[in-house]
Amino acid sequence: MTEPQPAPEAPSPTPSTIPSPGSDQAGSFGAVFLTTFTTVFLAELGDKTQLAALLLSAESGRPVLVFFGASLALISSSLVGVVLGRWLSRVLPPQQLERLAGILMVGLGLWLGRQAAVSVFPLA
Amino acid sequence: MDLPLLASTYATVFLAELGDKTQLAIVTISGTSSRSGAVFAGSSLALVLASLLGAAAGGSLSSVIGPDVLQLAASVGFLVIGTRLLIKASRPEPEADPDDASAG
Repeated sequence: MTEPQPAPEAPSPTPSTIPSPGSDQAGSFGAVFLTTFTTVFLAELGDKTQLAALLLSAESGRPVLVFFGASLALISSSLVGVVLGRWLSRVLPPQQLERLAGILMVGLGLWLGRQAAVSVFPLA
Repeated sequence: MDLPLLASTYATVFLAELGDKTQLAIVTISGTSSRSGAVFAGSSLALVLASLLGAAAGGSLSSVIGPDVLQLAASVGFLVIGTRLLIKASRPEPEADPDDASAG
């Protein structure tokens, strides 16, 4: 007698979107918050946005209003960035996204470092 | 309330920020982390604080610290994060469940 063997269906469709707690990839809220804060803060200081805010503030003499507008714009732009990142993480496999992001970050780091190095040690 | 000034500030800063390296960094961190809320909170606070310094300190900050030093620090931060991501991407993910071996 041959019993019909049930096809071994995948019992648990391992949810890749849910991080396993304690794994390094998930990271705690505080760690992700601090990483993002430090990176963005350092990258933003002395940037052209700050320059724009400075100029507007100096011209208008209304620093509070300028600060308010700039803050709203920056929060909007960071929301756009976060949503774009979420979308990318849904479209691309995580490992490929990590590689792309790593290359992008190293590239940005080298470019920024070169800019700073050139202005510290100007080439003749 | 000076609405034109508010609108012009908003438009200028928003357009200056689109596609900027800061936003690229936010996209990168958000895409490779599962905590969008933390990324949004951290980046928003950082950007608002940076613009507060820009609007309030009025250029005196850049003469104290120097934009080159800040850029160097930012570049080191980018390099560290990028290298960590590349290392993580090159390592095979430990998805094999150790419990499966004993069951079979």
